[in-house]
Amino acid sequence: MKFLKLIKIVVFRNIREEKFLTTLSIIGVALGIGLFVGIKVASDRAVASFEADIQGINPYANYEIVDISGIDFNEDVYRDVRNLEENTFPVLKTFGYIPEIKETIDITGIYTVKFVRFLNLPQNNSPPLSKGGMGGLDKRYDFENFYIEQNGVIITKKFSDRYSFKNGDTLKTFVYDKEYSLKIVDVIDTEMIPANTMVMDIGNYQEYFHKVGYLTRIDLATDGKKAEEIRKILPAYLTIEEKEEVFKNKKSLVASFRYNLQFVSLISILVGMFLLYNTIFISVVKRRTEIGVLRSLGADRKTVIMLFTIQGMVLGCIGSILGIILGQIVAYFSVFAVEKTISTMYSTISISDYVMTKGETLGALILGLFVSLLASAIPSFESSRISPDESTREGSFEDKYKRYQKVFSSIGVLCIVSGAVWSYVDYRYTPFEFPFLAYVGILLIIIGFTFISPSYLSVILKIIKKPSEKIFKATGKITIGDMRGNIYRFSVALMSVAISSALIIAFLTLIFSFRNSLNGWIKSNITADVYIKPLSCKSNYCFYPLSDEIYTIAKSFPEVVSVAKFRTLQLELFDKKVIGAFADISVKRIYSDIKYFDTQQAERLKEMEDGKVVGISDYLSIKYGLQRGDPIKLKTPKGEETFTINDIFSSYSTTSGFIYIDRRWLREYWGLDDATQISIYTQKGTDIKQFIHKLKERLSPDYSLEIMNNQELREKVINIFNKSFAITYAIELISIIVSLIGVVNTLLALVFERKREISIIRYLGGSWKQIGHTFTLSASIVGITGIFLGTIMGPLMSIIFIHVVNKISFGWEIHFKIPFLYLSFVTLILFLTTVTAGFIPSKVARKIDPKRFISFE
Amino acid sequence: MVRLEKIEKSYGNTRVLKGINLEIEKGDFISIMGSSGSGKSTLLNLIGAMDRPERGNIFIDGEEISSYTDEQLTIYRRGKVGFIFQFFNLLPNITAFENIQMPLLLNGIEDEAKVFEYIKRVGLNGKEDAYPYQLSGGEQQRVAIARALIHDPEIILADEPTGSLDSENGRVIMDLIKELTDKTGKTVILVTHEGYIAEYAQKRVRIKDGVIL
Repeated sequence: MKFLKLIKIVVFRNIREEKFLTTLSIIGVALGIGLFVGIKVASDRAVASFEADIQGINPYANYEIVDISGIDFNEDVYRDVRNLEENTFPVLKTFGYIPEIKETIDITGIYTVKFVRFLNLPQNNSPPLSKGGMGGLDKRYDFENFYIEQNGVIITKKFSDRYSFKNGDTLKTFVYDKEYSLKIVDVIDTEMIPANTMVMDIGNYQEYFHKVGYLTRIDLATDGKKAEEIRKILPAYLTIEEKEEVFKNKKSLVASFRYNLQFVSLISILVGMFLLYNTIFISVVKRRTEIGVLRSLGADRKTVIMLFTIQGMVLGCIGSILGIILGQIVAYFSVFAVEKTISTMYSTISISDYVMTKGETLGALILGLFVSLLASAIPSFESSRISPDESTREGSFEDKYKRYQKVFSSIGVLCIVSGAVWSYVDYRYTPFEFPFLAYVGILLIIIGFTFISPSYLSVILKIIKKPSEKIFKATGKITIGDMRGNIYRFSVALMSVAISSALIIAFLTLIFSFRNSLNGWIKSNITADVYIKPLSCKSNYCFYPLSDEIYTIAKSFPEVVSVAKFRTLQLELFDKKVIGAFADISVKRIYSDIKYFDTQQAERLKEMEDGKVVGISDYLSIKYGLQRGDPIKLKTPKGEETFTINDIFSSYSTTSGFIYIDRRWLREYWGLDDATQISIYTQKGTDIKQFIHKLKERLSPDYSLEIMNNQELREKVINIFNKSFAITYAIELISIIVSLIGVVNTLLALVFERKREISIIRYLGGSWKQIGHTFTLSASIVGITGIFLGTIMGPLMSIIFIHVVNKISFGWEIHFKIPFLYLSFVTLILFLTTVTAGFIPSKVARKIDPKRFISFE
Repeated sequence: MVRLEKIEKSYGNTRVLKGINLEIEKGDFISIMGSSGSGKSTLLNLIGAMDRPERGNIFIDGEEISSYTDEQLTIYRRGKVGFIFQFFNLLPNITAFENIQMPLLLNGIEDEAKVFEYIKRVGLNGKEDAYPYQLSGGEQQRVAIARALIHDPEIILADEPTGSLDSENGRVIMDLIKELTDKTGKTVILVTHEGYIAEYAQKRVRIKDGVIL
């Protein structure tokens, strides 16, 4: 009880008194936690969406039979499998796009009778489900209409509520390469089915979508022994996999994407921690007299530590709660960006849920408290070391730290060197699948620079002392004196600016370099005049083909000199799924404008036409140590075939590995000659706009296609690229805000700390304007020195991001290029914003009544 | 030099000065004595243009300053007034030299020689690079005295300048103030509650409950 009273007097009263500082640190913590949690929720939902997609709608299915190429297969095998295992469920599945709501949906065809019987679902004329049945499936469902309506679908309640769809509604949907109408026959309220999934009877599916005789997969509820038996009877082009393994594989595909996002958002937490550390530190310094008095009254060191720790955690708790609210808002927006990026780069997902769970909320709170504990640990410990007599001697607190400055600098240099070494180790040896060491390296570099920042600032102040005093006279003298007397405090503000500018420089360099490399990639890959793909395909690659007729029609136009077919399939390399792209390489080589690629590239393409060779993406080369000339074995329906690698290229369209093969092998080993996309090369001088118009006129009545010209496709690629980095821009903006708050925080604390000094200056005849100038000058010096440090850290970080993190995570070869002009502009903005941070303390200082701090009556 | 007419000042509900009339000639060394809360420091703040009276007028060299703007008061204070405080009130993050130099800099003057001269005059040779926390109380007060005089103000306002010093040091400081101001004809207004300090002044005034006795 007594301790609670002490907390009330010492902690809560101080929090009330220091409103502005308190508010700033709470905002800092809130922003850091909010961003981290929001992004985590979005990426967790993405993974959950994957899992739901793999699981399908049968919660008991633990195995699945699929075509190794990821395409639909002949249903004849189903009979044989069923003879071995009764609990088999054939499934047809594809993605559809509803233009009315701009959403991608999952259309799943199920063997209704078996499904209903297996899951014991109640039908219209059956008694309701007994207790313990499937969650939400306790109403009767209209399966009769489900059978009768060929285009009848059951949708989820979540989907229905979200878009106000109801029984009887018809939805215009693009499926494969045509437009269809889906009629809602019932709404199901269950967590078992992902929100954006529509269920059809498999027979209806086959009829309606012209997929008679085909299946996408067979789900099984069986055991390992039976699965092995089934494996033996499957043809070479089919495989049986445990769903858990499929999920793990798919999850690992997005792991890099998730971890990278999470790490970047972690930096926001670090900056938030800085703020909180600063606030507690300033609180300790300001209240050293109070602490000295407490100690002289008998408070032990433990009590003093507890008080300041509690203060930190109270601020952290409030910040975390706000952060949770902010995190929810961030999650809402992040979900769109994450959904778009993953759907484009990996496979289509649909995230309908972004509401934080109780567990996630609690996790965020715990994280916030932990972060607060860390941030307040050092200042709290320092507070306990204040002796009663220290309150009467000014300057002694900072003096203490000056003794350790050399030690701190040494630790800092060691951290920076270690950081560089770990990053190099990751670059050279790649011991892990994910660049953990590189991230540790980046963190060590940031920590290292933090440790050397007081020495760095000391040196800078020594250098600029005379010129500042010469130029700014009294203002300069007071400012430099203040800064030299409060090195550690100002170095915290400096690091806020430094980290912020380093992040800006690192990310802008990454984005600029990436865009540059991407433009190079676009130049040599997007070479045709017109591209056609199904409108329902929202990923970079889909596995269902265009109707053959589209190719024939396209070829029939007089403007056309050639049409190249492009077919993607799922291939397996070292037990991992990769994208196989089968292209009409000769068409590309002959009909592409020579300006698009160099002679070496042309030679490699010729080799692919003539021999049993393939090109692989950087990702596969890095991951498996593959080089030009190495053999690789690919599983085909006709058995395993060996190809030789003749080219290693950058591929930014996917991160799951990419193999580029001539179409000849598609025909020979897969028995296919269809296309998932076609590229059209036209006569020189053709009016492309006109040509596309004619194409659309001819094809649109029967097909739903996306037809783009070369420029439109390039813009689309850049657009996707920009959207992928949307989250990064948000993180940058928040980091800038947090760093600004750090500067304001420090300067404001100085105002509160220096009330007496400000009063003295007023008594000496200093005007408020002159006093204001000292804050502006402090902010400017912090700004310049911070930005300068950031310009050393930033390129270092960008080198690690580009050459290590991105390479290991995504296999992207990015050519380093610094956007000097753009960076100069952005750092100027940052500097000006930092300088304006000096205005707020100036305004606050004007409220000081000097008489109060000088008169002792 | 300094004329106060019917000066009244309150802080909140407390009337601190209740109609002060006082005339101080140029070159006077005047002490104002009174107990704690009698209004001594308030009087100094008014003369030093750190505050404005609610009623009455303050004339400095014939000019009525009570209606000056904040800017004008600052300029007046910068040029014509030097303060010496009980607790020295040096700027802690700059050296003794820089503390003394500060009034010159605020007036836009760079004269290092003058600073050195005053360091010598207050007997702080060799201590110019010391920070306030490295100086004793007496030494800090010497710095404060030098700072108060360096820009040649006409008026020196000393608020209990020996209040934080022992009696021996107190006398030393007062001797110094007297020595430095006697020759230059400055007007010194000294606030104290100690009799032996008040004796340094030529004229003595007592203030009690906001009025001059």
